[in-house]
Amino acid sequence: MPTETIPDTIIATRKAVSRESAATGFVSALTLHLLVVGAIITSAYISRARHPSWGQQASEAGSIEATMVAAIPLPPHQRTLDSGVLTSEAPSPAPAPPAPKAEPPPKAKEVLIPENTPPKPAKVAEKLAPEPPKHPQPTAPEPKKATTGETAGIRIPQAVTQLKNGTASVTIEDRTFGDRYSYYVKIVNRKVTENWNIQEADSRASNGKRTIIVFTINPDGTPSDPRIETRSGSPTLDISALRAVQRVDGFGTLPQSMPITVQFAFDYKQP
Amino acid sequence: MKRMLSMENFRIRSSTHSPRWSFILFLLLCSCVAPVSSAQDGFKTETQSGSAERLRVAVASFKIGTVDPHNEALHTTFDTTLYNDLANAGIFDLVSKSMAPQVSPGAPAEVSLPQWAAAPSLAQMVAFGTLGVTGDRLAVNGFLFDVKNPQYPQVLAKQYGETATDDSARQIAHRFADEIIARLGGGISGIAETKIYFVHLAGGNKELWAMDYDGANQHAITHLGTVSLSPRVSPDNTRLAFSSLGHDGFQIKMYSLLLGRLVNFPVSGGTNLSPAWAPNGKDLSYSSSRTGDPEIWISDINGSGGRRVTNFRGPDVSPVFNPRSGSQIAWISGRTGLPQLYIMETDGSAVQRLTDGGYATSPSWSPNGQFVAFAWNRKYGPGAPGGQDIYIMEIATKRWIQLTHEGGPCDFPSWSPDGRHLVYANSPDGRAEHMKIWTMLADGTQRHPLTSTGSDMPNWSWK
Repeated sequence: MPTETIPDTIIATRKAVSRESAATGFVSALTLHLLVVGAIITSAYISRARHPSWGQQASEAGSIEATMVAAIPLPPHQRTLDSGVLTSEAPSPAPAPPAPKAEPPPKAKEVLIPENTPPKPAKVAEKLAPEPPKHPQPTAPEPKKATTGETAGIRIPQAVTQLKNGTASVTIEDRTFGDRYSYYVKIVNRKVTENWNIQEADSRASNGKRTIIVFTINPDGTPSDPRIETRSGSPTLDISALRAVQRVDGFGTLPQSMPITVQFAFDYKQP
Repeated sequence: MKRMLSMENFRIRSSTHSPRWSFILFLLLCSCVAPVSSAQDGFKTETQSGSAERLRVAVASFKIGTVDPHNEALHTTFDTTLYNDLANAGIFDLVSKSMAPQVSPGAPAEVSLPQWAAAPSLAQMVAFGTLGVTGDRLAVNGFLFDVKNPQYPQVLAKQYGETATDDSARQIAHRFADEIIARLGGGISGIAETKIYFVHLAGGNKELWAMDYDGANQHAITHLGTVSLSPRVSPDNTRLAFSSLGHDGFQIKMYSLLLGRLVNFPVSGGTNLSPAWAPNGKDLSYSSSRTGDPEIWISDINGSGGRRVTNFRGPDVSPVFNPRSGSQIAWISGRTGLPQLYIMETDGSAVQRLTDGGYATSPSWSPNGQFVAFAWNRKYGPGAPGGQDIYIMEIATKRWIQLTHEGGPCDFPSWSPDGRHLVYANSPDGRAEHMKIWTMLADGTQRHPLTSTGSDMPNWSWK
């Protein structure tokens, strides 16, 4: 009987020992974790106490404030380049004196190699043109469309502004107006360009596309009836161009009493 | 850098939460800092819209056309004023005097456009002309030529004749500058002929004064021998409404700039402050405490037909109409404690609070109706950091920017009629006798004082 009880006690002690060792292990692990956590908290509080807290509520300090400056009706500032010689405050460094050029020494055994001349093409006798037919030929009908594009002939726009990614160009249908008051055309160009938010157009779909907006400028300088004359195929570009015209309140009084019609071409081109 | 910011961010947040939460946040941040710091460092900003180039304009020294001893002084005044007006407009890239050719062409035949187009002036437009005194008359011929269009160069030709005084030379320069800005500004009207009305402190009294937009020609308007506050000029520049201390306390007074005297405005009970003109020039809004509590009232400009618009416990002061529509009022209300900025319709409906805290005063609505400028102390309280500065807020989005920084308390912003400039009062130490009137572009740049000390409460005329 005792032989049977011994293993039981051994098993019981082993169980107790293993339970005890597991408990101490758990306790030590817990202590270690608590120590680590305590160290982190202490370091956080120490670093917090050392530096005074500054700034304001995170909800109030947004970067949103910067975006509104663009909405103030002021012309954008020109950036001052530090690298530019005229704009920089610092005196530009004097260029280094050129190093004296050394003539390459003549090579000892330089022999000219005769070039391989290509074989001359074989002469072919000219073919005589066939005799014109005796009877009259029917003439081809005149093309209704201009061959160069959608407009009849080529008209160079009267004012063009090159942008970072795109081109804006104005054409005024009344050609004498554009010649006589070219400064006004430039104002129209600049004003619409300033109001064109290029990022409204999808950059991938609009790349290389051109949309043409047509609108009328009344004698008091207000634009009216803007419409898309030629769609670009990219709706976002069309809408951004249309909005650019719609955003303008006025261009200033027209120098003449008759309203004028303006064609404004927006070319989108990623650099 | 990024790491430091994250730590600061943590500190700010932890101050608003319990320690337990701060601990969890810290653990989270510990796990976040490493990947965040490898993200992009710093930022780039650039506007994608519009061209940055401004029209380059040169102003030639005007040619003296006659032989007269007064010519020199008037010529200097005229040239300086014209140059400053075009520079203040903030829309041109002016050719500096040292870069311009040292010639003074007097007539279209004398001007050589290639000379102005060449470096270093590189002008796109050139203004020039003749000025001469004959007897007591000053005659000025002004031209504006498009340098880039040699076939039809003339943009503007103007002739002015006035009595030969320093003031009229300045006025002619203002008028010519406004003509140039009207032609080239693309719908922006010039402000060179506008006036600024303000309160001038002399002894214990405060009188109303006026000056040109550039601070010249300062002169008194009222001589009441009492305290007069908040001058507001009518949209047609004929009347000046203000609040003045008399036997019945503060009452609204009306001064006719045409007649040069006070005209009748009925006296009502209580304290009546801060009048504001409707853009149609037919209504006047003001704050009146005739019912015991300061409320916003609207009457016609003769003071009759008054009706109360606000009805709430707490003071309601400083109304200002939306100059674009005339159908909205922005005002300051203390209904929730500290004064805050509100807007509503003129019938008192659709009340909307714009500021979320602090201490807001003196609203001024921009001429296009898009912005409200006001003075705001965002950290108001004993020992709180920050001071009273000028802010503008976009009404539609309630987004704001701060325009003045660290220059002492600023108050009473007022928009210029072109909506591109602001005038305001600033005192470096907060004392009234050190108060000066300053002007700046609406983005806070080109800031300079217009008056000496003892000037307050500016109001820019409507045109």
